[in-house]
Amino acid sequence: MAIITDQPESPDLPDSSGPGTELEVAEPDSHGDDSPRTGVFARPMHATGWREWLFTVDHKKIGIMYGALALFWFLIGGLEIGLVRLQLWAPDGEVISADFYNQLFTMHGVTMVFLVIMPLANAFANYLVPLQIGARDVAFPRMNALGLWVFFFGGIFLNLSWFLGGGADGGWFAYAPNTGMTFSPGHGMDFYALGLQIAGIASLLGAINLLVTIINMRCPGMSLLRMPVFTWMILVVQFLLVFALPVITVALILLTFDRTFDANFFNVDAGADPLLWQHLFWIFGHPEVYILILPAFGVVSETLPVFSRKPLFGYPIVVLSGAAIGFMGWGVWAHHMFTSGMGPVSVAAFSATTMFIAVPTGVKILNWIATMWAGKVRFTVPMMFSVSLVAMFTIGGLSGVMHAIAPADTQQTDTYFIVAHFHYVLVGGALMGMFAGMYYWWPKAFGYHLNDRLGRWHFWLMLLGFNVTFGPMHIVGLQGMARRHSVYGEFDGFEFWNKIATIGYFFMLIAMVILAVNIFRTWGRYRRGLEPGAGADPWDGRTLEWAIPSPVPEHNFDYVPVVSDVDDFWHKKYQPDETGKLRRIAYGNDIAQIGDQHPHLPSPSYWPIVLAMGMPLIGFGLIYNLWIAGIGLLLLVGSMFGWTLEPATDPDAGHGHDGHGDHDDDHGAEKPDDGPDDHSDGDGVLAASTANGEAAGD
Amino acid sequence: MGARFARRWRLAVPALLGVLLAGCATGRLDATKPIGEEARDIDGLMRLSGWMAVGVGIFVAAAVVTIIVKFRAKPTDDPDDLPPQIHGNRKAELTWTLIPTAMLVFLTIYTLGTVFDLARASDGPTIKVEGQQWWWQFSYDLDGDGNDDIVTANDLVIQTGEKVNLEIHSNDVIHSFWIPQLNGKKDAVPGRVHHWLISSDEPGIFYGECVEFCGLSHANMQMRTIVLTPDDYKRWEQEQLAGKEAAQEALVEGSAAAAGAALFETHCISCHVVDGVYESAAGGNANLLAGIAPNLTNLMSRTAFAGALYETYQTGPGGEYLRNPDGSLKVNVAELREWVRNAPDMKPARADNQQGMLDFSEVLTDQDLDNLVEYLKTLGSPPVLP
Repeated sequence: MAIITDQPESPDLPDSSGPGTELEVAEPDSHGDDSPRTGVFARPMHATGWREWLFTVDHKKIGIMYGALALFWFLIGGLEIGLVRLQLWAPDGEVISADFYNQLFTMHGVTMVFLVIMPLANAFANYLVPLQIGARDVAFPRMNALGLWVFFFGGIFLNLSWFLGGGADGGWFAYAPNTGMTFSPGHGMDFYALGLQIAGIASLLGAINLLVTIINMRCPGMSLLRMPVFTWMILVVQFLLVFALPVITVALILLTFDRTFDANFFNVDAGADPLLWQHLFWIFGHPEVYILILPAFGVVSETLPVFSRKPLFGYPIVVLSGAAIGFMGWGVWAHHMFTSGMGPVSVAAFSATTMFIAVPTGVKILNWIATMWAGKVRFTVPMMFSVSLVAMFTIGGLSGVMHAIAPADTQQTDTYFIVAHFHYVLVGGALMGMFAGMYYWWPKAFGYHLNDRLGRWHFWLMLLGFNVTFGPMHIVGLQGMARRHSVYGEFDGFEFWNKIATIGYFFMLIAMVILAVNIFRTWGRYRRGLEPGAGADPWDGRTLEWAIPSPVPEHNFDYVPVVSDVDDFWHKKYQPDETGKLRRIAYGNDIAQIGDQHPHLPSPSYWPIVLAMGMPLIGFGLIYNLWIAGIGLLLLVGSMFGWTLEPATDPDAGHGHDGHGDHDDDHGAEKPDDGPDDHSDGDGVLAASTANGEAAGD
Repeated sequence: MGARFARRWRLAVPALLGVLLAGCATGRLDATKPIGEEARDIDGLMRLSGWMAVGVGIFVAAAVVTIIVKFRAKPTDDPDDLPPQIHGNRKAELTWTLIPTAMLVFLTIYTLGTVFDLARASDGPTIKVEGQQWWWQFSYDLDGDGNDDIVTANDLVIQTGEKVNLEIHSNDVIHSFWIPQLNGKKDAVPGRVHHWLISSDEPGIFYGECVEFCGLSHANMQMRTIVLTPDDYKRWEQEQLAGKEAAQEALVEGSAAAAGAALFETHCISCHVVDGVYESAAGGNANLLAGIAPNLTNLMSRTAFAGALYETYQTGPGGEYLRNPDGSLKVNVAELREWVRNAPDMKPARADNQQGMLDFSEVLTDQDLDNLVEYLKTLGSPPVLP
């Protein structure tokens, strides 16, 4: 049946006619609405078009949707801060009001952290973790879909505040008591508290799912120390999420109870200590920083070896230092509170712990450099982003050590020096890593490369704009410019560098426009057959995701791979000759799986999206009218019942035709208009019982 | 071509330097120009760690540049020929674990010493600092009887050579006290009292602001520390006490100031206090979330009003004070009058939520405003400047 195209070195396989016909596995007789009834709804057995995306439980589609949503919110968060940059163009700026300014910087932070970088990491984790460990899906596919839709509704809910009286205005850190009903009587902070609560549920669902997947569903031979570093970092991050999210959940519940039910958790007059909120927030908030950065570290730990054509230098040390960062990340939270008045003993302790978290981080950077050292480095677009992560993150890491020195931090905290620091970490580190990942895995996910020339423009404008924007903030911060001030005075001497920073913002904006053009233009060209397919292994990759066709067939692996080494796929391409020198013995495209099997996969389901819809309703209810919350609760509980009564894999799916492997090669010709991602949904089912081939039900 | 290139550079370098110098022209909040002893201690640590960071940064940057230049794949390379496959090197990795560790141990020891030094109390006088939306109050208990003898706002006045203990409070949300050239920041947290030191050997005006986000007008919550010589400080103290007496003297009947006082009694005393005259708002009032508004007893002795957002006396383009022919300072009547008329317009505030001064533009006539300003001008003598 399905034939993988673009394997020129593979003479045994018939070439198909073009990219649009790749992996065409639709089964004509399985379309239609003859689905059996399970529960209330007819099950979306063979949904196509938009329904295919809405009801999917496929980890790859879910990953792509996470990425698309993250990019959308990236646009929103970027435009929000654009207004801030315009306001700061000149002293005593009058572009926007102080009130709107406070809402903008609050929502910019919340959006970029919770709706951009976290879901971007989620996009890669969802798409790649099962592929890198040789699994057919995540452990709980429907729960995976639930996580996506909860995140989707959470983000919309959070941003609806813009249209319902204004966004949150208490800063993303929301320090009590400024965020209580007394000082912030609008609904912005309610949307913040409940919106983050909903987004948190999404992250928790994803984290549990990925943990179970990584621990239980690795293919035979893949011991923990043979796991790709990206998957390792995702594993560490999921542990951090599972332990950190309950803390912010508690904090947000306290805040919501204070605001909605007049509780007194942060009411100073009733004896509360506002530092309680700070401790809760930062016990979550600092591990959160590693939640944001470690996935990017994982990405470059994949790309640097591939493009240097060398193995990762000190694989066990890189893995170990990632895990060490995860552990030490729990002991440094109060460095956000050096000026909060918690006393010199606490300050000294957290100053010391913070200092030493730089050690594993530094080890990682030096190992990456050693990986590239003496290599034959190919400066492709993903490699350029990866190298820039190494250089730019280093700057952010070093200024981080400067804040670890508590007395110095009393001068630096809450100034633009800190803003510069964490943007070098989160833009220069996390975001550069995510862009590297996008260009690196795009051919795997979609079957074609993003345009190289536009990619280079994107990279250079991004690098330039980023440094022009955030570099000067180091200077202006040391000169005393405070964060979160909607205006500065004409005698403060901040004007020059603020103008430079605002100019830099527009470079970054143009870079993002170029990225958007690249995505849409290349997609359009690919659909018209103007872009060549990428093949299974376009970069001479090292890990298992390159051992299967691009784009990845719905079932991922025809047969479950067995691995015997780190970078097992690479060792299948290079072996030592008689002199002991490594020689190429095969090309990835030749030895990759061809995607012609059709194992039984979990069926699509309505329940995840319906259940998720209940959550924003409960949120609205808590803000406006508890009856709405009642409706939301009914929807939620009802969906849970529907979900429970629905088997993970529909027992009737695809039975009645077992003709796997004997399909025609020319299905593509029958449906020429279908896009490259248009895979079938559970037809041609093959009850393949393999070690882990069956994605478990949830 | 070389000559043209060189000519271009001859022009470019001074231009670039000029641009950078323009950027280095610093303002009055510069933390890298420490004056106070505490700020100098911190600055030493900052410079040490800063140069260490620069050193490490240059090392990493040099490595990256070397990789880009030297280890770049060439088009002539045989695609199947691999560079040496090095999986790691324990000795190298141990080295680059231990060297940063040693550097950090050194920094940590230095840091911890400074942390405890800065936390010590001094035997100098104590001044109570209160932050509230969106201004700072400073109270002096001169005789140690537990009653504040001088209550002022915006200007914290201290004398040279004395380490002052600050007791930092907040009356509503969290604020942070910061005079960059004298010391680092310390948060003002409601329900807690935080201790902090401040000192300077040089007289001068040192600027500062609230640096913990505290709501709508966070950007407009500024302050000054005025450091006076001991003689000037003595004079300032006496003038403050004299101002309390003077405020109680009867105003000339029928004068604009007297009319202003009547208006003040009608519209202002539910929030503002004038010691010994209007004290209905003393001890806190329910009209404001913070409970207090600035005590106006010595209003004219302060260099700034409205959370140090506006100058009490007129200044020239370079920030210098303008003077009348007789040498006295020119009162900034225009902005003072406008402030009384419509304060939320000059400094964003949620007056409807008891945060900040009300808008009186619908209440007071032009004549009322003139009279009120005349009354305010009688409160206190001009500031003692360093």
